[in-house]
Amino acid sequence: MSDQSLRDIHWMLEILQTIDVGLVVINIEYEIQNWNGFMENHSGHRAQKVQNRNLFDVFPELPHTWFCQKVDTVRELNIRAFTTWEQRPYLFRFRTYHPITSTAEYMYQNSMLYPLENTSGEVEYIAIVIFDVTDVATNKLALQQANSELARISRTDALTQLYNRGYWEECLYRELLRCRRHQHTASLILLDVDHFKPVNDTHGHTAGDAVLRHLSRTIRQNVRETDIPGRYGGEEFGIILPETDSPKAFAFAERLRGLIEEEAIQIGDNSVSITVSFGVAELEQNMQTIEDWITRADEALYQSKQSGRNQVTAT
Amino acid sequence: MSSDHAQESGLPQELTEEQRDCYQEIANIAMGQAAALLSRLLGVFIKLPIPRVNLFELADLNMALQSLDHDEAASAVCQGFAGDGITGEALIIFNDSNFEDIAQLMNYSGEQSEAMHVELLMDVANILIGAFLKGLANQMDLTFSHGHPMVLGQHKLVRDLLQPSRQPWQQTLAIEITYSLEDHPVNCDLLLLFTEDSIRIMNQKVAYLLDD
Repeated sequence: MSDQSLRDIHWMLEILQTIDVGLVVINIEYEIQNWNGFMENHSGHRAQKVQNRNLFDVFPELPHTWFCQKVDTVRELNIRAFTTWEQRPYLFRFRTYHPITSTAEYMYQNSMLYPLENTSGEVEYIAIVIFDVTDVATNKLALQQANSELARISRTDALTQLYNRGYWEECLYRELLRCRRHQHTASLILLDVDHFKPVNDTHGHTAGDAVLRHLSRTIRQNVRETDIPGRYGGEEFGIILPETDSPKAFAFAERLRGLIEEEAIQIGDNSVSITVSFGVAELEQNMQTIEDWITRADEALYQSKQSGRNQVTAT
Repeated sequence: MSSDHAQESGLPQELTEEQRDCYQEIANIAMGQAAALLSRLLGVFIKLPIPRVNLFELADLNMALQSLDHDEAASAVCQGFAGDGITGEALIIFNDSNFEDIAQLMNYSGEQSEAMHVELLMDVANILIGAFLKGLANQMDLTFSHGHPMVLGQHKLVRDLLQPSRQPWQQTLAIEITYSLEDHPVNCDLLLLFTEDSIRIMNQKVAYLLDD
């Protein structure tokens, strides 16, 4: 071998040793044959120390069945296989390069498994190549989180934290379709705070806001998990009650009315009491659109207002 | 005459009948090797269609994808490769209704979950893309570097899987293969897309094979 080619091999080995990619060679018994500097530095084990040790003993966190299945495929089919951090965040539990500032606790890894043939073409060894993809993974996860937060904000009413009108109406539409398709029923409750304007005028708008927040909390605490409350407008709220007929919805509204009437709201030094009027409408065959449904509930609500407020009317 | 002109101006020419046959034959062999491996892994017989070889502009890629007839939600994995001046991407498109059958065939137990679907997609992609590229590389006497496979999208309509191309006028050589399993309602598409720059080099390689 010439000096030149010896030097080339020496350089290559040096590069493999220092490259910032993990390289591990195992035999078909899963015994570590060798690994490079990346593996030494991140695992804390020198290559000589781990030679001929079982991979699963050195890395107990590596899922046995899963990993063997991948290696079997590579060995039997003599092809390379890839795993991504989206399947499993990592093969080997290493700290990240930003152990202090990173949002990731451990290094996210992509990996490649590569069959190494002997001279007669049989796969005797497997190379495991580990790529640090912590930056990519944390960015993607952050983006996903930001998107779902944006989605949440876009359907939430800022003052009351209930669904806003747009999203709530979307829910109502879906409920209408669902009931049609499955021949189920549902009820709609609209409620409106009685004499809300004087509250604002007497105690100020912050007091008005506090009243609405308090009312929203009372609604949220008393609906069932499947019910869908939303802020319809200023001091008007809507509640969708799936699988609920008119008498049941009436009973629920009546209970809610009583709760609101009894509870005084503390605003600074003042205590304010409010009452609320309700309109209840069960879905009917002849209702074509959500506007039809809302109109019926609204008529019932108007009836409650006309008959002296602080009461429930069902169609 | 027209093909000379096309070569001079650097535009890829139409494929000749001979070239198309040759690509089809190469694809046939590579696809067969991939199918044999998948068949071994799943323990079922794989039905092989004739690979389709086409040249089209990237702007028409989405149309080509939609012609693959996935009218339900699908998931896709994409893997890039490069070697000897040839670059391209391999796409696996998988109907979502396939997951249950494939999970069963691969002895995956447990609930169908997003994580399991990624796992299955990657397993199938590893085999189909890996084996196909290996077969292709062997025949054309080159080696490919493989990029890391990437989940393009899950549970989407095919037309929403790909972003519109930034270079819609670029030509691509496409090899489309539809794998289906005997006695199981599973089928998935493997799509090999080669860049415009690669076509000339590949045509040269193919010409060499045709001379033999």
